Amino acid sequence: MRMTLESESPRKATPLQVAKAVLSAFVGIRRRAAHEKDVVTLTPLQVIVAGVIAAAIFVLSLVMLVRFITSQ
Amino acid sequence: MEAAHAHNGHGHGAHGHHYSGLMRWITTTNHKDIGTLYLFFALTMFFVGGLLALMLRAELFEPGLQFWRPEFFNQLTTMHGLIMVFGAIMPAFVGFANWQVPMMIGAPDMAFARMNNWSFWLLPVGAILLVASFFVPGGATAAGWTIYAPLSTQMGPGMDLAIFALHIMGASSIMGSINIITTILNMRAPGMALMKMPLFVWTWLITAYLLIAVMPVLAGAVTMVLTDRHFGTNFFNAAGGGDPVLFQHVFWFFGHPEVYIMILPGFGIVSQIVPTFARKPLFGYSSMVYATASIAILSFIVWAHHMFTVGMPAVAQLFFMYATMLIAVPTGVKVFNWIATMWKGSLTFETPMLFACGFIFVFSMGGFTGLVLAITPVDIQLQDTYYVVAHFHYVLVAGSLFALFGGTYYWLPKWIGRMYDETLGKWHFWLSMIFFNITFFPMHFTGLAGLPRRVPDYNMQFADFNMISTIGAFGFGLAQLIFVYVLVKAIRGAGEKVSDKVWEGADGLEWTLPSPPPYHTFETPPLVK
Repeated sequence: MRMTLESESPRKATPLQVAKAVLSAFVGIRRRAAHEKDVVTLTPLQVIVAGVIAAAIFVLSLVMLVRFITSQ
Repeated sequence: MEAAHAHNGHGHGAHGHHYSGLMRWITTTNHKDIGTLYLFFALTMFFVGGLLALMLRAELFEPGLQFWRPEFFNQLTTMHGLIMVFGAIMPAFVGFANWQVPMMIGAPDMAFARMNNWSFWLLPVGAILLVASFFVPGGATAAGWTIYAPLSTQMGPGMDLAIFALHIMGASSIMGSINIITTILNMRAPGMALMKMPLFVWTWLITAYLLIAVMPVLAGAVTMVLTDRHFGTNFFNAAGGGDPVLFQHVFWFFGHPEVYIMILPGFGIVSQIVPTFARKPLFGYSSMVYATASIAILSFIVWAHHMFTVGMPAVAQLFFMYATMLIAVPTGVKVFNWIATMWKGSLTFETPMLFACGFIFVFSMGGFTGLVLAITPVDIQLQDTYYVVAHFHYVLVAGSLFALFGGTYYWLPKWIGRMYDETLGKWHFWLSMIFFNITFFPMHFTGLAGLPRRVPDYNMQFADFNMISTIGAFGFGLAQLIFVYVLVKAIRGAGEKVSDKVWEGADGLEWTLPSPPPYHTFETPPLVK
């Protein structure tokens, strides 16, 4: 059963594609074609993991930026 | 709403027995009934909160003390805020969710129908506690709606009633959110993929997650205040080793996402109205979904912009300033998408569209003043002045409230099967729009000139602008009576019968149902292509 489902479902998204989708979500802009591809290839788990990682990177980069500015 | 129950009593569904009269409303598990209850509750609290606002504005009409003691004035500001936030705006959006989410995703009802009943009936209890607190010794809480310690650890029993009310209303919100999330994730009609859901449903899904994340934080904060008050703890008492600033951090970790809880469903309503009256599909649907999610995530990392004056390190001030300003990006995407939806559309301006356009225009102004306040050195000047009062009324009144009015005019004909009075609806919009600006625009000036908020008296230099604000506030209040009249007239069946689709450009599952929809809808799920 599991085998059939996997063979029928489209290919899973690559990490790069997940990253692109999540980063575009941060800005709030996505191309329609890319979005339609996301809908069939991205799994919720991928999106949540990538979202948490991206949010952490976002916070860390802001912290680094303000540290850089205040160290001047 | 009686027309909506014309089909009641046909022995629909699993409910073997139907009560009538009052018992029907107390025992109902029907999403449409409960939606109606939420909306009437919110409308009632809107007028209670509005009355308090007019009592404030009457005092501020002239310098000097005319009507109220300063202590009572502080109670009025506090209770106006608490009642409008927790009694009017939030329940109104939940009312919309109850009516619309099942009909928009093709579900027969909410997932937990009995819990839905409980979620609603907790609210009047909380409201009674809040209103009754005016009559206990010392009166209602006067610590401001933010109930900052140490003010909140020093108030009389009115504070305890407010804490209990917040606990109860918070529990109601959490249960409502669990219900909404479960309904959306599990009860969509076949073919209704997540990325096909109407935007109102999307915004509510994200809002419900925000509510579940932050309502327990508020409950924690007010419980700590309660134990500080009565059980000898010192969370916020510096003399006992605690820190009053801790309260502000915990409160605003709830409070900032709360701001988005009160606006995201409004974004959803506007995103339904604009395509209908532009007769074009929503521009950038997926961008709208992504932008909503993005705003929700960012809302968790900006809370300390409410506290720039408490003495944070420069690193923290800069961090919260930058993070706050970045929220303008996804919000800007939304405003751009609404305008792009209207671009080259066959626009007509019925009342819902007027409110949606009013929303976009005035909410954007509130957004811009938000950016001004996000700049730390500017905020240090403007903290707790009328500029802040102007800012958040631009986003909450012209934002949330106008979206609620627009949504009411948009879906009311569907709910009751009859058209409202379009002429009076337009009067309601224009008077609200004009008086809103007369009330709140001058507050930018008084704030920039240094008038602090929550004061019953002020220097002569602020007299003229305050007089204008008070005149505007009474005009705005009276304009809302038109809304009530329009509602009563329409519900009593004065308007002409409407078609299933109601609006020419309307699109979505709810418009495939009869107007008014039968008591039970989509018992057999529709197929979404």
